[in-house]
Amino acid sequence: MTRSFDFRTFVMENIPLIGLIVLMAAVSLYSPNFLTVDNLLNILRQTSINAIIAMGMTFVILTAGIDLSVGSILAFAGAVCASMIAADTPLIVALLTTLVIGAALGAASGSIIAFFGVQAFIATLVGMTMVRGLVLVYTDGRPISTGDFDVANSFYEVGGGYIAGIPIPVVIAGVVFLACWYVLNYTRLGRYVYAIGGNEQVAQLAGVNVSRVKVIVYAISGALSALAGIILTARLESAQPTAGLAYELDAIAAVVLGGTSLAGGRGRITGTLIGALIIGVLNNALNIMDVSSYYQMIAKGAVILLAVVLDGRSKATSK
Amino acid sequence: MKKLFGLATATAMLLGSTAPSFAADTLALVVSTLNNPFFVTLKEGAEGKASELGYELLVLDSQNDPAKELAAVEDVLNKDVKLLMINPTDSDAVRSAIRAANRKDVPVVTLDRGASGGEVVSHVASDNVQGGEMAAELVNSTFEGTAKVVELQGVPGTSAARDRGEGFNKGIDAVEGLSIVASQAADFDRTKGLNVMENILQAQPEIDVVFAHNDEMALGAIKAIEAAKRDILVIGFDGTDDAVAAVNDGTMLATVAQQAGMIGALGVETADKILKGEAVPEYTPVPLKLIQK
Amino acid sequence: MTALLELRGVDKAFGSVRVLQGVDFTVESGHVVALAGENGAGKSTLMKIITGIYRRDAGSMKYRGQEARFANARQSMDAGIAMIHQELNLLPALSVGENIFLGREPVDSTGRILWGEIDRESRHWLGQLKQNIDPRTETGKLSIAQQQMVEIARALSMNAEVIIMDEPTDSLTDVETKILFDVVDHLRAEGKGLVFISHRLGEIFQMCDDVAVLRDGAMVHQGPVSEIDEDTLIRHMVGRELSDQYPFVPAVPAAVRLKVEGLVARGVREVSFEARAGEVVGFAGLVGAGRTELGKAIYGANPATAGTIEIDGAPMRIGTPRDGVRAGIGYVTEDRKLEGLIQSHGLRRNMSLTGLFRFSGSSGHIDKRAERAEITDYINAFSIKTHGIDAVVSQLSGGNQQKVSIAKSLVPKPRILILDEPTRGVDVGAKREIYTLINELKAQGLCILLMSSDMPELLGISDRILVMSNGLLTGSFDRGEADQEAIMRCTVAGLTEGTVQ
Repeated sequence: MTRSFDFRTFVMENIPLIGLIVLMAAVSLYSPNFLTVDNLLNILRQTSINAIIAMGMTFVILTAGIDLSVGSILAFAGAVCASMIAADTPLIVALLTTLVIGAALGAASGSIIAFFGVQAFIATLVGMTMVRGLVLVYTDGRPISTGDFDVANSFYEVGGGYIAGIPIPVVIAGVVFLACWYVLNYTRLGRYVYAIGGNEQVAQLAGVNVSRVKVIVYAISGALSALAGIILTARLESAQPTAGLAYELDAIAAVVLGGTSLAGGRGRITGTLIGALIIGVLNNALNIMDVSSYYQMIAKGAVILLAVVLDGRSKATSK
Repeated sequence: MKKLFGLATATAMLLGSTAPSFAADTLALVVSTLNNPFFVTLKEGAEGKASELGYELLVLDSQNDPAKELAAVEDVLNKDVKLLMINPTDSDAVRSAIRAANRKDVPVVTLDRGASGGEVVSHVASDNVQGGEMAAELVNSTFEGTAKVVELQGVPGTSAARDRGEGFNKGIDAVEGLSIVASQAADFDRTKGLNVMENILQAQPEIDVVFAHNDEMALGAIKAIEAAKRDILVIGFDGTDDAVAAVNDGTMLATVAQQAGMIGALGVETADKILKGEAVPEYTPVPLKLIQK
Repeated sequence: MTALLELRGVDKAFGSVRVLQGVDFTVESGHVVALAGENGAGKSTLMKIITGIYRRDAGSMKYRGQEARFANARQSMDAGIAMIHQELNLLPALSVGENIFLGREPVDSTGRILWGEIDRESRHWLGQLKQNIDPRTETGKLSIAQQQMVEIARALSMNAEVIIMDEPTDSLTDVETKILFDVVDHLRAEGKGLVFISHRLGEIFQMCDDVAVLRDGAMVHQGPVSEIDEDTLIRHMVGRELSDQYPFVPAVPAAVRLKVEGLVARGVREVSFEARAGEVVGFAGLVGAGRTELGKAIYGANPATAGTIEIDGAPMRIGTPRDGVRAGIGYVTEDRKLEGLIQSHGLRRNMSLTGLFRFSGSSGHIDKRAERAEITDYINAFSIKTHGIDAVVSQLSGGNQQKVSIAKSLVPKPRILILDEPTRGVDVGAKREIYTLINELKAQGLCILLMSSDMPELLGISDRILVMSNGLLTGSFDRGEADQEAIMRCTVAGLTEGTVQ
């Protein structure tokens, strides 16, 4: 079963990666400030938030679901975490509590989907709206500062610090990526996620506890959204009530750019990472090249469209 | 206490339709959003003045959605309100809401953002163009006529972003030694202010000062500058609590304070005059204030 | 007799693969032509060329004496060639009438649809098939057999000259099959030309005039049915002698493995029976008699509301398929596409899904090496033809998919195996392989419950046959005493409430 290297197949299977490389090459021709270590680390740091959310979203979309509540959960988690830090809560307690709250909010959406048969779009739309309301009630519509206790300084490191020269958010995103990759490729849970997206009835009949897997998947998405909220809050040393608005769209775009099918059952976590990087590079490049903001949106839309069309076409022909 | 208050407003919004009948004359205030501290302050200014002058004030939140705004206006018009103060979500989209009030002969006062149609008795707002000019003057005086400047714009296409940018650019262009090296939108958002500023820092080795169209973006930019350990001054706009605190501890050079509370208060004062039959100007400018350490 | 349709020297290749080579094929007016051949022999391709879905690379086609070249299915349909596909092409959310007239709805001058006419016409054509179905019923709510009848009604309603039927009896019961044969006789008398594709050789001899055999893309035989016998036909199809269509190894008497007492579930009114280790128990019955429901109830996919299930003497609580798997039950569904295999996934992922716990401990970590080894063993042992362990299942032939499906149910090492229509849509050669497999599993001591609508198959490989009707068991036959007629009587017994049991 050894196969000789087929360039055409390689291209077809790696459209997102090639797209990213072409994009980076093009930008570096335009701007000498782009391909610098500092700027690349900068892009990675900016991408880490969306990448973390998008990886959770990948689990959900692989089961043929969708999670619109990620941005709201991010904001709520950030607010809760900021107020805990401001009240001098030990760092580890604050972080774990926040993650648990995120997971619980996700699991709540997941339960509504799994046990009441509500469509994921509707259930998480409800979640998005209600959690955003919770954020506003909790913050009274104002930013919450992380305060002046010592713990606020160590909390800042979560978003602004470095380990061996690498920004901590990037390290966190890397760890999350490895964990997701392992779970999807080497565990029962991962197989079940793909199976449910491939054909839920088949999975059910094969003895998979479909409801349980769904709840877990939305809990993962919620916990990762909360993690993103922690990082964002740490970087800004304050939680914004409007944080995370429309983040679900960037996350979904990253997943789709990475070649994961919205119909479920097919896709790779590596693709999602690349998809998030494409969006990050694009944002960075448009700023660096000082492109007028009116044209930026057109450029972003065009790139996403191009990537998805190319990918869709390669899938159709390789079938 | 704040939280309790937030809950109370939320409940009031929910129960809006079953609110009890009013003893005093009632004014309605429809605010574009209560997600933003600026408009919360505006609302509080109006509330303070209303209780001082003996009015009931009914506050509704449009949540930045013109459709919700229209529905809110229609709702209050069905109650016995004497006057409608509206802070539009969008100058064009608000027209039908204002016409609805015109049809019921309820006088309308617009706050902060104007309307492009309908009969409005008076518009109460701070002069954003002037605010932009004030920021430019401050840059000029601080750097004695020579500086490289970055501008962080608000949501493209909004009047606030247009006017502040216009005033600022006019002021900068007037002085030969001042140049804008980058001008990018960060959508009035703190997170975007951080990200966009980080990107600009990568591209521009020399920056002296940043002018942001609002404080949220300015605060985000400050985080980016601190992390990059660069020495760049930042000027914000709006005078929010966070920004004033930043000015006081020296991390922000200044913020052009729109006096949000005063807009609300002047709105209620104007309303009072209208209801008493006194003449009011078509446009009531609310002075801006440069907050510096 | 005039030739309605005449193909000469038709070639067709996909890329470098030659699918058809110099095929001649003739359909005469008033004749029913059986098109036989193993899966992959090129039958579907030939039919798609006739109906304009594919273009031929070479050769000629004459329809009613005129050279014809259809650019798409629509053109061939308008010209009077109708095709009834093996996969139902009905839209489940539309009504029966809407499906029958889909794309050719009768309208008045203003373009409004004449619902009354759709209703009347649909009733007429369904009536011809002796189907009492309200045309306003939502199609998805009908049984598979009824849907097949709707599909046939649609073809009839087009007043086609040539009607091609691809495995039309596959999902039909004997009663419905008989109705269909009557309709075919009627059409033949009207001078229509019919093409009948079937894996059931009995049907070919029963109702066809001519038989054409495709093998590996070449037409190896075409002639009157009366001049050929079954063995010769099979030899033409597979290109070699098949010694015995139904290999049978009698069961070795063993202990009772499965004991079902008073089981009640949706579609199952009250069923009690026993099955032994190393025994094949066949279940006969009409479609809707409750066989599938019984199988699912034992497995846990159709939760029982009353009754008990004992396995090897121990009572079991089985409320979900998960419980069924844990209790040692393997289940192979009749509906491979919707319930059996994830069509877009590879062999490995499909085959190991049910038995994944065997390759992973409590941590959930999958031992991929052990998994690969076992899956490869099954692929070799079942001679599944595939170009790799991760090849996408939808690209396999029906027979190979069915083998994957059976292997999937065996990976968890079950004690009981429930096979629901295991040879549906499977060609003669693969059928025999599956029968051999059943015998091997039986020899290994598995207790096998076999639900099948193919009566010769049931008689051929079961040790005992139980008959279901209307959710009840209405008959029980040992291998020696079972015959088709006696079983048929039992299949309708439950319908009049009297039980023969």
